[in-house]
Amino acid sequence: MHLTQELELFPEHRVTLLLFKEVKNAAELRKSAMEGKINGALINPTMLVDPFQVLVAANKAVHLQKIEKMKTRNLYSEIIFNLSPTNNISEAFKRFGISDGDDSVMVVVVHNKDESQLLTDIVAKVDGQQVSVEDISSMSDSAKIKKLYKVTPQEEKCGTLLDAVVCRMATKDVL
Amino acid sequence: MAQEKGTAVPVLLSKAELLKQGAEARVYRAEFLGKPAIVKERFPKRYRHPVLDEKLTHRRTVQEVRSILRCRKAGISAPVVYFVDYTSHCIFLEEIVGSSTVRDHIASTQQSCKDQELERLAQQMGQILARMHDEDVIHGDLTTSNMLLRRGTEDEESDLVLIDFGLSYISALPEDKGVDLYVLEKAFLSTHPNTEALFQKLLKSYTASSKKSSAVIKKLDEVRLRGRKRSMVG
Ligand SMILES: Nc1ncnc2c1ncn2[C@@H]1O[C@H](COP(=O)(O)OP(=O)(O)OP(=O)(O)O)[C@@H](O)[C@H]1O
Ligand SMILES: [Mg+2]
Repeated sequence: MHLTQELELFPEHRVTLLLFKEVKNAAELRKSAMEGKINGALINPTMLVDPFQVLVAANKAVHLQKIEKMKTRNLYSEIIFNLSPTNNISEAFKRFGISDGDDSVMVVVVHNKDESQLLTDIVAKVDGQQVSVEDISSMSDSAKIKKLYKVTPQEEKCGTLLDAVVCRMATKDVL
Repeated sequence: MAQEKGTAVPVLLSKAELLKQGAEARVYRAEFLGKPAIVKERFPKRYRHPVLDEKLTHRRTVQEVRSILRCRKAGISAPVVYFVDYTSHCIFLEEIVGSSTVRDHIASTQQSCKDQELERLAQQMGQILARMHDEDVIHGDLTTSNMLLRRGTEDEESDLVLIDFGLSYISALPEDKGVDLYVLEKAFLSTHPNTEALFQKLLKSYTASSKKSSAVIKKLDEVRLRGRKRSMVG
C-alpha cells in the first residue's frame, strides 16, 4: 500500500508515502500537525502527479536540513514548500498543504530504517481508508497542476507532466 | 541519524561510476530516487582565485539549469533536472538511457556509408538549433558531443537531446547566434572529416526553420571571414 524509498544521498534515511481517501478528520489532522504532534507532512493529493514528485521534494528537504539552509521551520514544512513552483511560503501551504474540508490526504514520513512504529502511529491517527500510493494519479487534477506550474502544451511534447513539474521544483531557487 | 553536517553529495559520488573526467567537470552515473541519473560535478580550479572560482562555478551551474528549463518550456529536448546542490556544484539529471552522442553516431554511420541517414540527422540538428536560437538561448559550446541521440524512438524530431549548457546565456543578437554556429562548424568539420556538404545541409535546414535566420547566417559569414583573417595573421 505505502511506498518506501531509500534516499541514495542519505542512506540512513527512508521516505515513506501513505495515501488515504474518504478522510473524515482532516481538520483534526491539520491541527495536530501544526502542534507538531504528527511526525509527517500532510499533503493535498490534487496537486500531485506521481509519487516521484514527493520524493524529489523530500530529498531536497533533507539536503537543505543537513546544510542548514531550510527556508521554513522544519523538515515537514520544507517538503511542502519544495513542492511549490514559487518561493512564496504561504502560497505553497495553501496549494499543497491540507485544508479542513479535504477528504483525501498524502502523508510523507522521513524515518530511519527501523522506525516502522511511526507508520503505525500515522495510520492510527487518520480516520479514512488507506489506498495504494499508486492511486495518486486518479486523485490528481492535471488541469490545475498545469496551470499552477505554468506547463505549456509544447513542453509536454518533449516530456511528461511529471518531468515538467520536477524540473521546476528542482530549479526554482535560481529562477 | 548520525551524520555530519554538510552536503552528502561527495560521499555518493565517491562510490558512483565515473563516465567522464573533463577539464571543468566530472560526469558520473548514479541512481537518484530509484531512477537512472547523471551527476555533473564542477570542481574547483586550483589556478583560479578561490573566490572568483566559486563565483564562476556557481554561475555555470545556474546557467546550465536555467537554459535546460528554458529549452524544455519551448519543447526543445534537454534532460530533466532532478536535483541541484549549489554547495558542491552538482547537478543531478535524467539519464538519457541507451543514447549515444551525435559524435559517436556520425562516426559509426560514416563507416557504413549511410548517407541518407546522416542527412536526416543534419536536418534535425539544423531544426533543433533554429528553435533554440529562436528562444534566444545561445548554447556557448556547440559540438557533436553535446547532443545526444535517443535510441528507439521513431518520432522524427524529438530524438535529439541537447546537453552541456554550462556556457549558455540568453541573447537575441544575431552576432551571438552566428558565433554559436561558427563554433559548431569548427568543431564539426574538425571532428568529422569530409563533412562540408553535410554541414551545409545542417545550415540549410537551420535557415529554413528559424524565423530570424537571414541575419544570423550573415553574421556567420562575417565571423568566418574574421576567423580566416585572424589565422592568416597569427
Ligand atoms: N543526461 C545524460 N544522459 C546520458 N548521457 C549523458 C547525459 N549528460 C551527459 N552525458 C554523457 O556525458 C558526456 C559529458 O557530459 P557533458 O557534455 O555535460 O559534460 P562535459 O563535456 O564534461 O562538460 P564541460 O564541457 O562543461 O566540461 C556527454 O558527452 C554524454 O556522453
Ligand atoms: Mg560536453
